[in-house]
Amino acid sequence: MNVRVLGVEVLDELRGIVREPAALFFAVVMPVGFFALFSSLFGEPTMLATFGTFGVLAVSLMSPGIGVARDRELGWSRAKRVSAVPVGITLAAKVVAALPYAVGVLLAMTVAAALTGSLDASAGVLLRVGGVLVLGALPFALLGMAVGFQAGTNASSAILNAILLPSAVLSGLWMPLEILPGFAASLAPFLPTYHLAQLALAQFDGGGGAGHALVLAGMTAVTAALAAVSYRHSRL
Amino acid sequence: MTQEKATADTVLEIRAVHHRYGRALALDGVDLRLVAGECVALLGPNGAGKTTLVNLVNGLLPAQAGRVRLAGGDPRDAATRRHLGVVQQSLGFPDTLKVGELVTGAAVRAGMPRAAAAPVLAELGLTDLAGRRAARLSGGQKQRVQLAMALVSDPALLVLDEPTAGLDVPARRRFWQILAQRRARGTAVLVTTHLIAETAAIADRVVVLDHGRVVAAGSPAALAARLPDRTVIARTSLGPARLAGLPGAVSVREDGDHVRIGTRAPESLLRVLLAEDPELSDLRVEGAGLSDAVVGLTEPTEPTEPTGSTEQTGKVGVR
Repeated sequence: MNVRVLGVEVLDELRGIVREPAALFFAVVMPVGFFALFSSLFGEPTMLATFGTFGVLAVSLMSPGIGVARDRELGWSRAKRVSAVPVGITLAAKVVAALPYAVGVLLAMTVAAALTGSLDASAGVLLRVGGVLVLGALPFALLGMAVGFQAGTNASSAILNAILLPSAVLSGLWMPLEILPGFAASLAPFLPTYHLAQLALAQFDGGGGAGHALVLAGMTAVTAALAAVSYRHSRL
Repeated sequence: MTQEKATADTVLEIRAVHHRYGRALALDGVDLRLVAGECVALLGPNGAGKTTLVNLVNGLLPAQAGRVRLAGGDPRDAATRRHLGVVQQSLGFPDTLKVGELVTGAAVRAGMPRAAAAPVLAELGLTDLAGRRAARLSGGQKQRVQLAMALVSDPALLVLDEPTAGLDVPARRRFWQILAQRRARGTAVLVTTHLIAETAAIADRVVVLDHGRVVAAGSPAALAARLPDRTVIARTSLGPARLAGLPGAVSVREDGDHVRIGTRAPESLLRVLLAEDPELSDLRVEGAGLSDAVVGLTEPTEPTEPTGSTEQTGKVGVR
C-alpha cells in the first residue's frame, strides 16, 4: 500500500511543480545561467562540480521547504495529517519530487559545459558527480522542511535564500576559495555545502572523500532530527 | 454524563476525556459514544470545546487523560484513520490539482482502488468537474470535493466540523441527503454546528458542550423543548432573580448594562416585564442565539437575591 501511496504523493507534488513552475523556474534557470556565464569565461571543467552543488542545493533546499510551508497555509498538511497516510511518506514524496529537478539542473549544466567547450570528463565521472550531488542533497532537503514546518511560504523562501546564498559564496561554489578573503577559507570547513562540493570535486581527481561523506552523513542525522522536532511543533 | 457501555457496533468511544491548553481547561471529563449509522450533533458556543473534541477524534491531538477509540483503534495511528472521513473548514487542498485527481488520491491514500473515485464523484455531482482545477471551483464546489474525499474510503465515521457554513439552502439540503444515504449504509456521523434548527433535521442525538463539559444531551425534539427560541433584551432595574421568575423565562444573562432573557413565550413575559418595571428601556426581541440557548441548558442556579439592580449582580440566573 505504501508504495502506491508514495506514488500518488510524488505525482501530486510533480503536478504542483509542473503546473505552477514559476518559483522553481528561477531555482533552475539562475544556477544554470550563472554556470554558463562563468564556465564560458574560465572554462574550468571542475566548475561543473561546484556550480552543480549550488544548482542541486537551490532545488533541494527550496522546493521541499517552501512546499511544506505552502501546504500548511492551504490546510493540505492538516488534511494529510487526518488521513491514513503516514507522515514519513508525505515528506519522502516532497524530497523525491525534487530529484527530477535536481537531475534536470545537472543535465542542463552538462549541456551548457559542452556548448561552452568546458566539458572535460568521462561519462563515469559525470555519473559519479551527479550521484554524489543528488544523494548529498538529502540533508539540505531536510533542513528546508524543518524551516517550512515553522515559517510561512514567503518567510521560508527568504530564510532559505538567506542560508543558501552565503553558504554558496563561503563554500567556494561560485568562486574558488583561493580568490576570496582569508576568513572565507577558514569558515568553509564548517559549512556542509563545502563538504558536498568537495565530495563532488573528489570524483574528478579520484581523491578521498570519506571525511566529507562522514560530515554529510552526520548532517543528515542532525537535520533529520531537526525536521522531526520542527514537525512535532508545527502549527498545521 | 453516565458512562455508556461499548457494544460491537460502537464506532466511536470517548471516555472521561480531559484536555488542557496550558492552564486553560478545554475538555473536562467528556464521554461520548456513537454506533454505526448514528448521527450526533455537537452543539456549543465558541470556546465550548467542540473543536478540541473533534481534533481528538481525528487524531490531531493526543488524549491527555481518558480514552478515545475509533473503530476499536487509536486515531493517532494512521492505519486507524482509514475508518475516518473528515470535512473541516481548516482543511484544504492545492489549487494546482484537479477534482478527479484529488478524489482518486484520497481513495489511494485510504487503501482503496483508484476506481472507487468515479462512483463518489457521481454521487456528489462532480463527474463533470473531474477535470477542473481546484483553483477554479466555487466555495460550495470545494465543499463537495472535500466531502467526496472524505466519503471515498467508505469510512465508519464521518466527522463534519461546521460543514454547511457558506452553503446556500439547496446545497445544504443536498449535503444532508447524501449523508442520510451514507448513514443508511452504516456510516456514523459526528457533526459540529452553530445552527440549532439544523440539528433537528439531521441528528439522532444532540450533545451540548459548554466550557468543556457536556451540559445536555438528548434527542433534538427533547432539547428544543427546553431551549429558548427568542431573546428579550432590555435595560431594567429588576434583578436577575425576579427576571428568572417572569412567566416564560428560560434563562437570564447579563450583557453589559443590558439583560438578555431567553424565552419561548415572549408575549406573556413582556406583559409582566412592562408592568413591573416602569423604567424599562432599550427593549428589543431577537431570535435566540446559541449562547442564550446554552445558558438555558446549564444547571439551575438558586436566586441570590429577590430584587436589585442588574448592574450590581454578575451572576446568571437560570430556571
